[in-house]
Amino acid sequence: MIVETSAVVARGLGVRHGARWVLRPSSFGLPGGLVGIAGPDRSDRSDLLATLATLRRPHAGRLEVLGLDVRTRAALRRLRTRIGFLPARARWAAGFTVHDLVSYAAYYQRRSPSTVRDVLTALELDDAAAWPYGELPADLRVRAGLAAACVHRPEIAFLEEPLTLLGEAARADLVPLLAGLAPTVVVTAPAAEWLIPWCDHVYVLERTRLVPAGEAAAPPAPPARERRPEPRHGHWHLVRGPQRRLRRATVP
Amino acid sequence: MPGLARAVRPARIARVARVVRVDARRGSLLTAVPLLALLGAVAGWRELPEGFRDWDSVVGAAEASVRWSGPTAAGLAAWTGMSGRHLDYLRALTARSPAAAPLHDLALLSAVALTGYLAGALVVAAPVLPGGGFRETHLLGVLAGAGTLALYVAAGYLAGLSWAHPLAVALTVAAAAAWVALRPEGSWTVLLPPSLTGPADLFDAPRAGVLAAQLCWAAGLAAALVLGHLAWITRRRLLLGGVLLALSATALGTARIHAADGVASHPSQVKRVCRHWPVSVCVHPSLAAALPSLSAAVAPLAARLSGTPDAIVRIEQRSGREPASFDAGTVGFHLPDLSPGYARRAVHEIESTLARCPAPPTGLQAQVSAWLRDDPVPHLPDTPFTRWSETQRRAWLALRYAEFRSCSLVSVRHRPRPA
Repeated sequence: MIVETSAVVARGLGVRHGARWVLRPSSFGLPGGLVGIAGPDRSDRSDLLATLATLRRPHAGRLEVLGLDVRTRAALRRLRTRIGFLPARARWAAGFTVHDLVSYAAYYQRRSPSTVRDVLTALELDDAAAWPYGELPADLRVRAGLAAACVHRPEIAFLEEPLTLLGEAARADLVPLLAGLAPTVVVTAPAAEWLIPWCDHVYVLERTRLVPAGEAAAPPAPPARERRPEPRHGHWHLVRGPQRRLRRATVP
Repeated sequence: MPGLARAVRPARIARVARVVRVDARRGSLLTAVPLLALLGAVAGWRELPEGFRDWDSVVGAAEASVRWSGPTAAGLAAWTGMSGRHLDYLRALTARSPAAAPLHDLALLSAVALTGYLAGALVVAAPVLPGGGFRETHLLGVLAGAGTLALYVAAGYLAGLSWAHPLAVALTVAAAAAWVALRPEGSWTVLLPPSLTGPADLFDAPRAGVLAAQLCWAAGLAAALVLGHLAWITRRRLLLGGVLLALSATALGTARIHAADGVASHPSQVKRVCRHWPVSVCVHPSLAAALPSLSAAVAPLAARLSGTPDAIVRIEQRSGREPASFDAGTVGFHLPDLSPGYARRAVHEIESTLARCPAPPTGLQAQVSAWLRDDPVPHLPDTPFTRWSETQRRAWLALRYAEFRSCSLVSVRHRPRPA
């Protein structure tokens, strides 16, 4: 359903993967808040998310994100400064420290070194800043990716599979952070059950259609949902969990 | 000026340096510099004439090294372009111009390729560096090679960026190698960068016009590719003007290269260096080191021909275009390089110009030839010539020289007086 406050508005939007439709031309709106998109096929979810994030061109229809039509070059340029994107994998960054990765992203977002420090602190990565990204445990790797993707405090963040590799406890720790990254955060996961406890709205990409999920069945109350602060634009929000301390293994 | 001051602030430089470092490590570009330098040095070395080098041959070898390092640089650039697509989420969703990331990559790749190229060229040029003599034409040659390498980098990068698939890297390398391998010999296209002409003659100088046209062609095409890509991603029509200008430069270069008709060098006036004892021998200045051994090798021949109509006054190295000759005591011979045995080959060539034999000489004629060349004289057929002393042979040759020249020596008719 498209409403006036929809962060993403698709009109007849069609997405293909080669010759195959990932999303047949359809119209929908994604509201603000924490929005989940589930679907059985990982590459389909990935293609749809990349299209919504303007990294791929739609194969049909119109797409408006934050009220800007992505077909207009000037609007696209303005829009792209307001989008954050976290890919499922960032193998290229494995050899770089978290600080290097976030600084690299900050350079392309014209952000100062102090912003890098702020985002590392906000995501509890101060102790991990000098660690190689590839050697981090899964939850810290997601946080480092989030720091790079959202160093510019985007208005809408598209996060590909941020919860997939995490255990239940880590997921519960991370979800409040996700919700605080931007006024609108779109996350993907393999199944709606992964998202329903945490998200304000969940959609399922199934048989080339994007349909709302779980409207009939009331989702179970999410245990960590109460801990999620209300998103406020332009500020980092953080629920302080137990302070992490990382130490390099010392060789005796 | 405030803008410049802002641009060179240490903190800003440090941030850019960090980004460059990340990009360089991401593309393994620091490994690529020594690899390209090694490849360039080895390829250049193979193109050098044996035993000596001068600036002409060094610059020619550096240009030729691009035939090997170019496809490698194109493959590296394609790989970087392909892997750069994985960073679109950071570099396309950006507050900077969409041109920033490709320009960063291209600048870095070009710097890497050119550093490797220059390092390889320096290794090849090391022996001639102290002697000086580097001219504008040589600079043009080096720049033409650099421009060609920049073209390989730009084409490879854009290929990898356009089709982010490992197959694109393989196809880029194959296409770059095919451009070197598949141009027909003898056509004007052999002069398109990288030129496929072999080492130039020692007495020729590279044509500055051809080198400038090659630079124009390669740099123009590289600039057209890059500006065309930037115009596409930024939708700035102004850049299309730059593309047209760059293509005009390429067209001009093509016309000039076509007009050259495959000829990359022209005869030049070279003042030979000579050694006048025991016989006057003059060679190209680059081969001055060969004078003592050449003099020693031709001395017996010169001594044995004294008293004949072909008594040697001066032995002179000639260009490869001119035939070896014997004219009024001045002998012309060829010396393309100083590979082992060069002095003996020179003596053989000079001796072979004396007698005009339609086929390899036999019998007495062959014995006299061998003696003149200071080779062991064949024992068969058993002729008195094989038993004579040096003085007897010289006296006899002075009498029978006309028959020797006409290749009609059959028997010893006039016995010289014993020494």
